Amino acid sequence: MSEPVLKVENLNVGFHTKSGVVQAATDISFEIAPGEVLAVVGESGSGKSVTALALMRLHPRNTEITGTVTFDGVDVLGLSDTEMRKVRGRDVAMIFQDPMTAMNPVFSVGDQIVEAVRVHNKGTSRKAAWDRAVDLLQMVGVPEPRQRASQYPHEYSGGMRQRAMIAMAIANDPKLLIADEPTTALDVTVQAQVMEVLYEVQAETGSAMMLITHDLGLVAGAADRVQVMYASRLMETGTVDEIFYESRNPYTRALLASMPDLEGAKEKLEPIPGNPPSLLNTRPGCAFRPRCAHATEVCGVEYPAAVSLSNQHTSRCHHALELESMSS
Amino acid sequence: MTDRETPSLEELAAELQTTHMDSELAAAQAIADAEGLSETPKSFGKLAWERFVNHRLALLGAIGLVLITVAFVFAPQFSDYTVEQTNVPDRLQGPSWDHPFGTDEIGRDLYVRTAQGGQYSLRIGLTVALLATAFGTMMGAMAGYFGKWVDTLISQMVNLFLIVPYLIILAVFSQQIGRDANRLSLVLALLLWTRIARVVRGVVFSIKEQEYVMAARASGASHFRVIFRHIIPNVVGALAVEVTLLLGTAIVLESTLSFLGLGVQPPNSSLGTLVADAKGNIATDPFRVLTPGLCIVFIVLCVNFLGDGLRDALDPRSKVAGPKPVKVKKKKMAEA
Repeated sequence: MSEPVLKVENLNVGFHTKSGVVQAATDISFEIAPGEVLAVVGESGSGKSVTALALMRLHPRNTEITGTVTFDGVDVLGLSDTEMRKVRGRDVAMIFQDPMTAMNPVFSVGDQIVEAVRVHNKGTSRKAAWDRAVDLLQMVGVPEPRQRASQYPHEYSGGMRQRAMIAMAIANDPKLLIADEPTTALDVTVQAQVMEVLYEVQAETGSAMMLITHDLGLVAGAADRVQVMYASRLMETGTVDEIFYESRNPYTRALLASMPDLEGAKEKLEPIPGNPPSLLNTRPGCAFRPRCAHATEVCGVEYPAAVSLSNQHTSRCHHALELESMSS
Repeated sequence: MTDRETPSLEELAAELQTTHMDSELAAAQAIADAEGLSETPKSFGKLAWERFVNHRLALLGAIGLVLITVAFVFAPQFSDYTVEQTNVPDRLQGPSWDHPFGTDEIGRDLYVRTAQGGQYSLRIGLTVALLATAFGTMMGAMAGYFGKWVDTLISQMVNLFLIVPYLIILAVFSQQIGRDANRLSLVLALLLWTRIARVVRGVVFSIKEQEYVMAARASGASHFRVIFRHIIPNVVGALAVEVTLLLGTAIVLESTLSFLGLGVQPPNSSLGTLVADAKGNIATDPFRVLTPGLCIVFIVLCVNFLGDGLRDALDPRSKVAGPKPVKVKKKKMAEA
């Protein structure tokens, strides 16, 4: 692998609240290679978005972050605010979950893309930036981009708006795109189209992508690697095939079992019993232990270390090697 | 179907796929066609203008303001008299073609004097509204956006200004400030900016939590840019109403001060001083009090209507009022 675009080591994110520190991300380490698509999956509150926001340093002010985040050889957490602003949007761009609220209602869509272009290219004339905005809209499949650019977000449909958000994100050819649940707010038919646009654009610009989602179906389609998170920690990392067919982690398996498959082979979906743990005052041991069918005594004592299963496949489970294969 | 050649499965599948892929585009196009948007879309200014013109009260307010301004500014052209010209034999006259507003106790034409005073009042009102809005918006936006100690500091400052007994302050400094309209405006603005600041602070508090603010930050915008390019334009709607109310308040406040002798000092006059001058004769000549008084009411009303219309016009989400919806009578519905 070539030099990674993004390298995260031992990232911890904690929120100071009145009732104590909420540990939203614990000991997160991963890398993204240039042009690679890394999917981060996990249920609500597992720390996916928090990790992404911490990478861009857009976290709320009561947050404590430790660890190192190296982007393109630069230590992001050590940058000054002014330097960080230059990284945001130019090198790392973000696509947000809800296209309904992520666009400013009082500016035309074109104006907002122009704004994104001109933040980082102060010398660009308005005319040139506008032409660029129209090109970008064309690229993401907005029909009649020249007319549509001067329309307002409320005149766009949800899918169109998300396309426009993508156009805005790639305005400066970022090296890394962070897509935070880009299709959650869209209906299913539109989801597929938007994902297609996203992958096309990603392939065209050659940027790496960190795709945050809780939709495993979305991941299977086009991600290179998958990273499963649970209760602020990484549970398992591997290629799509390794995660879907050779998972060595009870949580990942439970997650897969709770998801319907296309063939309709499953008669009944299996929910995961219990609830995710509170991230306030976490107990020692594996976070999934109370809900895990394979839990033994050791699981309650210490947190499992990463078990390396292949070149790219690691799982954090004491019983990773003992689990039977996933043929059933 | 029978006389047509049966399409192969692949063809069907391909057709299905293209129609599926294009369905969203087609739908968007259909909506655009229905709304008449597929022709060249109208610019924001043009749309805002249409919305404004369709707002009847606002249009009335605007026309009223233009009329009264013209009547004030061009008074010397409309009348044969000047402000200082006295004509004692003609004193204390009621309204006539020659003196539409009558004359005062030394025979000066009251239309010309009201016009001069009105100009003064309008000028002070506008200056105060402008200054207070600029300052108040800045302070309110900072308090709302940064929160924490910045908010505490600015909010306490606002509270301090709110409890200042402005009449006493103005009474103490009336000799220093009353002679100069600009100085008077500045003092009034200093007393009134707090209202704007409080409104802006509240709105900014809610706007800064919106995802588009986060999106703007994620695209690398500085705090300054986020505040001025992304947040303040969203405050304008709420601000339009508050500013016009403020303009009204400023005019009334100035009139009050001038009436009490704390505002505009002779030889200058404002609508307030004209009312004060006339109050001695209120029993015999109520019309003299009424004319400048009604001018104040008229201006303030027009300005408020205008603000209401501006708020709607400046909101890109509001639609241009189309033809009135057809009312369906409940009776007929019941019959059917």
